[in-house]
Amino acid sequence: MKDLLFDRLHSGLGSVLDLRQKQHSLTTSNVANVDTPFYKAKYIRFDDLLKDAAGSGDNLMKTSHERHFTGLNGTVEEPQVFEQDPAPWVIDGNSVSLEREMVRLKSNALMFRSVTKGMSKRLSMITFVANNGKG
Amino acid sequence: MNILDTLRISASGMSAQRVRLQSISSNIANARSTSTETGEPYRRKMPVFKAITHNPFGSEIDKNLSRVEVVDIAKSQEDFRQVFDPAHPDADEEGYVRYPNVDILYEMVDMMTTSRGYEANTSAVETTYQMANLALEIIK
Repeated sequence: MKDLLFDRLHSGLGSVLDLRQKQHSLTTSNVANVDTPFYKAKYIRFDDLLKDAAGSGDNLMKTSHERHFTGLNGTVEEPQVFEQDPAPWVIDGNSVSLEREMVRLKSNALMFRSVTKGMSKRLSMITFVANNGKG
Repeated sequence: MNILDTLRISASGMSAQRVRLQSISSNIANARSTSTETGEPYRRKMPVFKAITHNPFGSEIDKNLSRVEVVDIAKSQEDFRQVFDPAHPDADEEGYVRYPNVDILYEMVDMMTTSRGYEANTSAVETTYQMANLALEIIK
């Protein structure tokens, strides 16, 4: 029997949290090395991961039209880490841009927050059902 | 890679920037020190930063995470400034005094970038803390 309480969406949200946490540690590592010569900024590309997760794997929804969504796979493999090459005019060979890292830090935290909210709502739905609909 | 390791990386960035600020203050304080223990004028101090892989045995992400360490505090090999001042006790036979190779303007600019770097690391710590709290609030 399929697990109805903690289904693929649940584990999918979990793996997104995991990815966001990984992106966050990469960003803090970039910020710490903002003045290290020849250090290259590192990051994960979320749009590529979404492309991989969409329309791949088994247990996808059946569609009757080519423009219907098949849903997401729900699991993401170990992400690839990309490196930012320094601009040619940079003397110390460091490619960390503090502004870019700060934006990445905050937007990543915002996405993390939205996923935790989603999980929290899902759990309160389960609690609602488990309590016979009494809050 | 857990939250504590992330915090440790930010802490390494902060302490590296603090060492940098210490060398800058030493440079500014000694901008006119014409003699030291070695006899020659004060040389400008420069911390050398190195990125060190935090956990070389971890996952793909872990191998890409680096803390920063100060591996050396190098002394600048630039030429000293020569000023003609025969009355000075450290003047040579021709009356020239060698002053440190410290340029206050460079030090001030370095001080600003150091301060920004430190600030960015505290901001990263703050965000890490918020994210950890959010993760705890899922089960609330």
